[in-house]
Amino acid sequence: MKRKRRTEILIQSDTDLAESLANQIKQTYSFKEIVAPQYGLTMVKMRESAKKSLFYIGEVLVTEAKVELNGQIGIGIIQGMHDGLALNLAIIDAAYNASFPETLSWKDALVAAEAEIKRKKAKQQAELMETKVSFETMDV
Amino acid sequence: MGYVAVKGGTMAIEASINRLTYDRLKEREIIEVNTIIATMRAMVDQVMSESSLYSPFLAALAIKQAEGSMEEAVFIMRSHRSTLPRLYYSNIIESDSMLVERRISASFKDIPGGQILGATTDYTHRLLDFSLAEETRLKNDQWMKQYMEKIKQEVKEDGEISYLPKVVDYLREEGLFGTYELDNTMPTDITKENLSFPASRSARLQTLTRGQTGAVTALGYASLRGYGQVHPTVGEVRVGKLPIYVEHPNEPEQTAEDSYYIGEIKVSEVESFVPVSIKNEQNEEELDFEIGYGICYGQNETKAIAMSILDQCLEHPEASFPTHDEEFVLLHIDSVEATGFISHLKLPHYVTFQSKLGSIREVKKKGGAQ
Repeated sequence: MKRKRRTEILIQSDTDLAESLANQIKQTYSFKEIVAPQYGLTMVKMRESAKKSLFYIGEVLVTEAKVELNGQIGIGIIQGMHDGLALNLAIIDAAYNASFPETLSWKDALVAAEAEIKRKKAKQQAELMETKVSFETMDV
Repeated sequence: MGYVAVKGGTMAIEASINRLTYDRLKEREIIEVNTIIATMRAMVDQVMSESSLYSPFLAALAIKQAEGSMEEAVFIMRSHRSTLPRLYYSNIIESDSMLVERRISASFKDIPGGQILGATTDYTHRLLDFSLAEETRLKNDQWMKQYMEKIKQEVKEDGEISYLPKVVDYLREEGLFGTYELDNTMPTDITKENLSFPASRSARLQTLTRGQTGAVTALGYASLRGYGQVHPTVGEVRVGKLPIYVEHPNEPEQTAEDSYYIGEIKVSEVESFVPVSIKNEQNEEELDFEIGYGICYGQNETKAIAMSILDQCLEHPEASFPTHDEEFVLLHIDSVEATGFISHLKLPHYVTFQSKLGSIREVKKKGGAQ
């Protein structure tokens, strides 16, 4: 599974999915923390819709961690202050970069978590649709 | 006349800071940071927007430390921001990736996807709700339970997530509004280089979006009242969340699918439609529309609408209107700069003032002698 999709699932999932996947790696392999979880900024670049040009809306606080596993570097980045999750994300990233066999077995759990995330989002959206205006034109 | 160094205030300053702590603690009440995040959403959003740093936790902590003073909270956030390394730049966010929580149009009744009111104070009576003074967790839980049961019964889920089309795209497809090619010019970053004039569009938008809510609103209002030439119709106001992605810092070949998802930001975004006169090929005047753009962190629709007015004003410089003068607008809307400069007036000006006083004494003495 590609990085974009799996990080979307791991970050948006309510469960401790990232921790459980990272634990599988921690039990079998040793890893080195290259960058311990640290706080920093990500500057957010946007396209405005009037003239389609780019500008910076501002910065977002992030936690970043980097690990080395089997000669492969893994990076974990998450908005906010989440040291443990950033480290777990970095370990999972390194495991994918090293093509560990464990990663193949993770697909089902990730796909199931993705379905649950979509279900919750769809539910929230459906709830908001209660506030959708149903116009009726009046005869005056 | 220059400044002179003075001393003697150290003990008094220490005592003053203790007094500040005493004033915060003397009622023996503690407000939790999580309580601020959960119940002061608009305030947290405003602090994040004006400090240009998205972090509800840090904003709530700053509000607690500043005892609710917006200017102080923003100042603390900006200071903290300056201590953090900038690790990444995000991929370009296209705002049609927003998962909308609220969207309305004042221009069209029937917009594709419909008008979704979401959560807003717009339709509430602005009367004080005294029942809040007697609020209890039990009563709140009961309300929540009833509401969730009602939602469960009434809401039909189809399991699909929809991303709403933009009103402006709909009008562009009809050929009513001009279209633009994607402009990928690297934006100016006003946190890295000083604002210079004429400012680039990106510098203008960055300055406006982090402007003080009251200042941006006041200048947008001034334009509407006649100190400017922009009176728009709001094409679309959206509130929702935008996903953020960053590229791997050093993978040589990567696609969008190799990016990291890092989280999402809640924003308010506005496109205002502004009528303008243009000359056609026959050199005849005809009506056309331009778009003013406004956006800010959090749910702060007034600021986003005012920004869209000022964006359009600054696209058309006019010496006779202050709101069309980018130096006037951009140099006066920053919270830290404006409050900082006003606050500096409290610093000792003993020598400069004594000098002025001396001059006046001289003048009066000479006047008396005549």
